[in-house]
Amino acid sequence: MNLSDLTIKKVHDSLLNKEFSALELIEAYFKRIEDFDKEICAYLSLNKDEACKAAEKVDLSIAKKEEIGELAGVPFAIKDNILIKNNPTSAASKILKNYKATYDATVIKKLREEKSIFLGRTNMDEFAMGSSTENSAFQITKNPYDKERVPGGSSGGSVAAVAAYMSLASLGSDTGGSIRQPASFCGVVGLKPTYGAVSRYGLIAMSSSLDQIGPITKTVEDAGILFKAIAGEDSFDSTTTSMNLEEILEMSLEKIKNLTIGIPEEYFIDGLDKETGNAINEVIQNLKSLGLKFKKINLPHTKHALSTYYIIMPAEASANLARFDGIRYGSLGEEKNSQNLLDLYFRNKSQGFGPEVKRRIILGTFVLSSGYYDAYYSKAQKVRTLIKNDFDKAFEDVDVILTPVSPTRAFKIGEKLNDPLSMYLSDIFTIPVNLAGLPAISIPAKTKGLPIGFQLIGQYFREADILGIGRYYEKM
Amino acid sequence: MSEINKKSLEHLASLARIKLSPEEGDNFLKDLEKILNHFKELQKVNTDDVMPMTGGTNLKNIFREDKVVTDDESDIVRDSLLNKKEGFLKVPPIFE
Repeated sequence: MNLSDLTIKKVHDSLLNKEFSALELIEAYFKRIEDFDKEICAYLSLNKDEACKAAEKVDLSIAKKEEIGELAGVPFAIKDNILIKNNPTSAASKILKNYKATYDATVIKKLREEKSIFLGRTNMDEFAMGSSTENSAFQITKNPYDKERVPGGSSGGSVAAVAAYMSLASLGSDTGGSIRQPASFCGVVGLKPTYGAVSRYGLIAMSSSLDQIGPITKTVEDAGILFKAIAGEDSFDSTTTSMNLEEILEMSLEKIKNLTIGIPEEYFIDGLDKETGNAINEVIQNLKSLGLKFKKINLPHTKHALSTYYIIMPAEASANLARFDGIRYGSLGEEKNSQNLLDLYFRNKSQGFGPEVKRRIILGTFVLSSGYYDAYYSKAQKVRTLIKNDFDKAFEDVDVILTPVSPTRAFKIGEKLNDPLSMYLSDIFTIPVNLAGLPAISIPAKTKGLPIGFQLIGQYFREADILGIGRYYEKM
Repeated sequence: MSEINKKSLEHLASLARIKLSPEEGDNFLKDLEKILNHFKELQKVNTDDVMPMTGGTNLKNIFREDKVVTDDESDIVRDSLLNKKEGFLKVPPIFE
């Protein structure tokens, strides 16, 4: 068994052909984690006993010749903001260090029904606030390609685990690029689904109008298989809707050739690093040779996306995080040291939240406060409409939009930590997609050295188009 | 639009039940000034007659049956409490 070579389909076939058992597969992954994770620090904790028991059940089903699905026995790493019942879940924050999930997130429930296996929970920026995974309260995850560099963020642990073959696939969450930017930095595939395609029930909310859970995998096909398994309407998240999943992995080359790809002028800016620009141009040439048509387009409000996002996201986050008081979700044990309840709140929140979280809570409180609401929050919501309208207009002429994922490749650990604004800028190409609620995927370009991803943005609920183009690119 | 200052920063932090150390306060003030300054460019965008986008979708009025579902997970919750008495969390007095 060669872990670097496995895909979901290969695992499924190998289990059925008895080339290896589910338990052997899981043990091989735990061995790999034991050998490499000391250096990479992708996992916050492992779930060995439960994972082995689940694998034994899959083996028993196979022995009894029961029918098993494609995802049975497939191991996953889960971002630490997605709830797995009875397991600790902390969103990499000290304020939740004693919290144990009381229920399964809908995505976990769906994968459990498929008999998938959860290896452990992965590191992230605290409450998904960051672009480098350096904001975790517990550890710094390294980029498997260069351990002096960040894996990107906030789903850095989930991405590094897949890139270093310490899990076959993983789940992350994407509010402004938190799946796609790290996927680009670590050379794996990351899909941010259409807002409303995947249930957010059991995801620790950062910004409710922007958050989506999505797959992180080694191949585009695996991303499609996983997306199909987790998507769908859920009565616990009223923003979800049913969508046609039939076509997700069935797009023919003939259909793909009929798609027109838009190249937005506004994404090829001065700050774009030269290697990234070259890599994107090469991808365009490759796709042209497949027969795809290209067209120049304009998304004129792109330059306002960063400001719009950094008003709306902290506003929603400050409201969502108000509930974390160090009492209700696993207490921090400060009750005895506090004079009164107010004092306890101050103690818990001041000790429990890290600097970036405090910064965003205060920023969010500011933009929502009386006297500033119209100037900041209300203005940002209107500009958000204009950004969405840009995309709607562009999609009258083209089917898919191609852009870089991030202006640069993975940066050095510590390089941007003390300059929040420059850290925020690493998400300028991914943020507009969340504001508009569109689906987008980051796919590794065929380059040497530090990985570079390109982004395909699809129309609402047209994951089939971007996954389809991605699959044919991958096969080239 | 007036800038954020030390006093208003402390007020905002206290509304969020956060106490900032003097060092945190100084750093945040610098960061927030820089960030709010960046936001100023939004004022140049003409948004007359533009409706605000208030959520992630255009969906509205989702209904479901009003049905009671019992799902008692209080044991797991109680397990995570460090300071408890008879199954309840002990907190300091609310009224003096």
